[in-house]
Amino acid sequence: MNLKTLLLAGGALLSGTAASAGGYQVTLAGIKNNGMGGVGVGLSLDQAAMFYNPGALAMVRERGVQLGGNVTFARNAFIAEGGNTQRELRNSVVTPFSLFAGFGPAEGKFRAGIAVYTPFGSKLQYAEGWEGRTSLTDIDLKSIFVQPTFSYALTDKISVGAGLVVLAYGAVNLQRDIPLPDSYGHIELDGKAETKLGYNAGIFFKPSDKLSVGISYRSKIDAQVEDGDVTFSNISPTFASRFQATKFGATLPLPATTSFGVGIMPNDKLTVGLDVNFVNWSAYRTLDFNFDQPINGSTTSSSKRYYEDAFTFRVGGQYKVTDAFTARIGGAYDDSPVKDGYVTPETPDADRLSGTLGVSYGFGEHFSVDLSTQFVRIKQRTQTFEQLQNNQTTDRVAGTYKTNIVIPGLGLNYTF
Amino acid sequence: MNTTLFRKFVPFVALLGLGFTACQPDLEDDFKASAGTADFSRYIAVGNSLTAGFSDNGLYLEGQLNSYPNLLAMQFKEVGGGDFEQPLFNENQRNGSGYLAITGFDNTGNPIIGNVAANAAVGLGADKKTPLLAKYTGTGNQNLGVPGIRIADITTVGYGFDNPAGFNPYFERLLSNSPATYLQYVQERVNTIKPTFFTNWLGNNDVLGYASSGGTAAPLTPVAEFTTKYGQMLDVLTAGGAKGLVATIPNVTNVPLFTTVPVAAVIASIKANPQIPNAAAASLYIRTGTNTVREATASDLLLLPARSVIGTGGSATTLPVGVGYSATLANPLPSQFVLDATEVANVTARTADLNAVIQKAAQDRGLAVFDANAYFTNVARFGVITNGTTNTAAFVSGNLFSLDGVHPTPRGYAIVANEMIKAINARYEAKVPQLNAAAYRGVEFP
Repeated sequence: MNLKTLLLAGGALLSGTAASAGGYQVTLAGIKNNGMGGVGVGLSLDQAAMFYNPGALAMVRERGVQLGGNVTFARNAFIAEGGNTQRELRNSVVTPFSLFAGFGPAEGKFRAGIAVYTPFGSKLQYAEGWEGRTSLTDIDLKSIFVQPTFSYALTDKISVGAGLVVLAYGAVNLQRDIPLPDSYGHIELDGKAETKLGYNAGIFFKPSDKLSVGISYRSKIDAQVEDGDVTFSNISPTFASRFQATKFGATLPLPATTSFGVGIMPNDKLTVGLDVNFVNWSAYRTLDFNFDQPINGSTTSSSKRYYEDAFTFRVGGQYKVTDAFTARIGGAYDDSPVKDGYVTPETPDADRLSGTLGVSYGFGEHFSVDLSTQFVRIKQRTQTFEQLQNNQTTDRVAGTYKTNIVIPGLGLNYTF
Repeated sequence: MNTTLFRKFVPFVALLGLGFTACQPDLEDDFKASAGTADFSRYIAVGNSLTAGFSDNGLYLEGQLNSYPNLLAMQFKEVGGGDFEQPLFNENQRNGSGYLAITGFDNTGNPIIGNVAANAAVGLGADKKTPLLAKYTGTGNQNLGVPGIRIADITTVGYGFDNPAGFNPYFERLLSNSPATYLQYVQERVNTIKPTFFTNWLGNNDVLGYASSGGTAAPLTPVAEFTTKYGQMLDVLTAGGAKGLVATIPNVTNVPLFTTVPVAAVIASIKANPQIPNAAAASLYIRTGTNTVREATASDLLLLPARSVIGTGGSATTLPVGVGYSATLANPLPSQFVLDATEVANVTARTADLNAVIQKAAQDRGLAVFDANAYFTNVARFGVITNGTTNTAAFVSGNLFSLDGVHPTPRGYAIVANEMIKAINARYEAKVPQLNAAAYRGVEFP
């Protein structure tokens, strides 16, 4: 149910797969990476390597601390099948942040670090009385991941690394309207995710000054809410006896992600990265809830998702204009894991195309500032009632969605 | 250094700003409404109770406001339609002719259905039995729906005139004490309004009157008579070149009035009733339309009111109503509470015949057709989902049919309007937007 995460971040309810491509997610770890289409698996740019490829951390020259923040502006338009009334979100802004701190001996072979990031904070509030109100009115997902990381350079060309990925905090709030014969009631599900562990690991290989390659893997985490709170409102006394649940449980898979990246450095000033992410979204089959007491006669609910595994392709580069000033540009193409007829309001997903820009400016030897902006265009997507009927997914609404997201980010770096 | 930094970041920040303003996606250009080859500027609606907005066995203000012609007119405004005037009861007469409502629940949780009294009644007519309703005093009426009217009635002089032989009070309130026929009234409206578009959903009562009386009253209208009069009506409507839509007659045996009390369940309850001696040998017995008594079968349809009759009135010497052991030892359910298998077949066959007439008449004139029969047959089998909400043809709980078991709820009427829009769009290459049917209520609960 947390799916909301998605829009911005993607989408899985509780989902937290930070690195995942496609589907639910907009990768928002390092601000430098953000400016370069989200590449990073084959690069050793900075401490954010802990997220992209922990194997590359040992090859990051500087030790340091990096603090990043993003502001996400998601704007969505929806028109129901057969209608012409455009629904827009009650707009909200979320502010994912990240912190990466890397330590280790100046000339040593290893680096250790800790990463804190919020890859899935996101929020969608649909228009009052919109056609899909019985699927979703509001969703708000928050998650914080903490990742202690260790990386070791086996030789001066190959390094490996791994991190323990801790879903340290997850909260979900999901709301929808309940169709009663003569009115709409409302249900709010609010819960905290259990703390869960996963891992990531990677290998980084830099055969020459001009080329580097990396591969990384992030494990699946099942985000799980037990004992979440159920609150009903606007239900007349006539129907109240059918809506007595007070607690719910739900599980959402944050799928495993495998990534491969290449870095090309033709000269000292230019770096180009290419990444491919493969996300095992097929782990997300259904979104199931169980309740402590029946809701309208049933203690469970199940809604089909039937996601498909999906790829994301990223390309980005940076150019060092002066010693202090670096400019970045990049782009990404996400193949949607959501099949036709399975689009839900928590993740009004479609293939998405992103363009990114970024700059960095160094103030002396230790301190630098990064700025980035991502422009994400989720393609216009229509699902028809006929598709819903054929897939038995009529718990959602037929119509056309289109979403744009703009995410400016600011990063502060201190190296030592 | 700060100025340098500032200069370098300015273009970047400007680009950011541009990004935000361009952010809100806009789909409206892709879904522009259009009238296609039709002209919706002046619309009139011809029909019966369904057109008037009749619901819960009454005509009252809320039902009028949710009538499908009013909903259609609202959508037509998106494509050049003008105002649409209806013969509304005023706020003080909002209960209109009176109607059925759920007043509470019995101790098994079943709804108790009671009456909301009329407050638009103004005494009895010259026949000393028909209640007169508050007159419509406007001059611009565009919703010509008259509850109860059959195609067979449209050329009847005095059908809406207060006279001792009886009359239709819903038509009477539209006329200013005139013996005009319905067809003449429609002609007058056409002359005055000069409609560019019309809907015509007449014909239902030409079979419903027979069916809802268990075959005891109001004969099925003969096909030849229907053909002539239906054609006369369409000729009046299309004489000025108006385009329009006609709707077919849903097979009334699919509505809750005939499906809520299944024979098998009644038989089972009789056989399980400890009050009846040798209950296992007892069953449900009916009096058919040909005055024979026999055991009921699954092919017979019990009317909704049969619920409150079956099993009553038993004594030491009399079996309860409907209970029997054989054709001769029975207290059969009276004929008006059951549409027996033969009568069902009659209704179904005549409905099909009349619908063929409607289809042909529409085809000859190039009109759009909403095949309400096909649509509601499908709804009876599978229900219909409106934006995530399931609706069925079930009584009370299904959202589509009101408490009389025949007329739609506001949700049902909204769905009818959408289906008509689909047919209009297909025939006239128009893009009239549909409405959100899920925003309209089903049955109202206390």
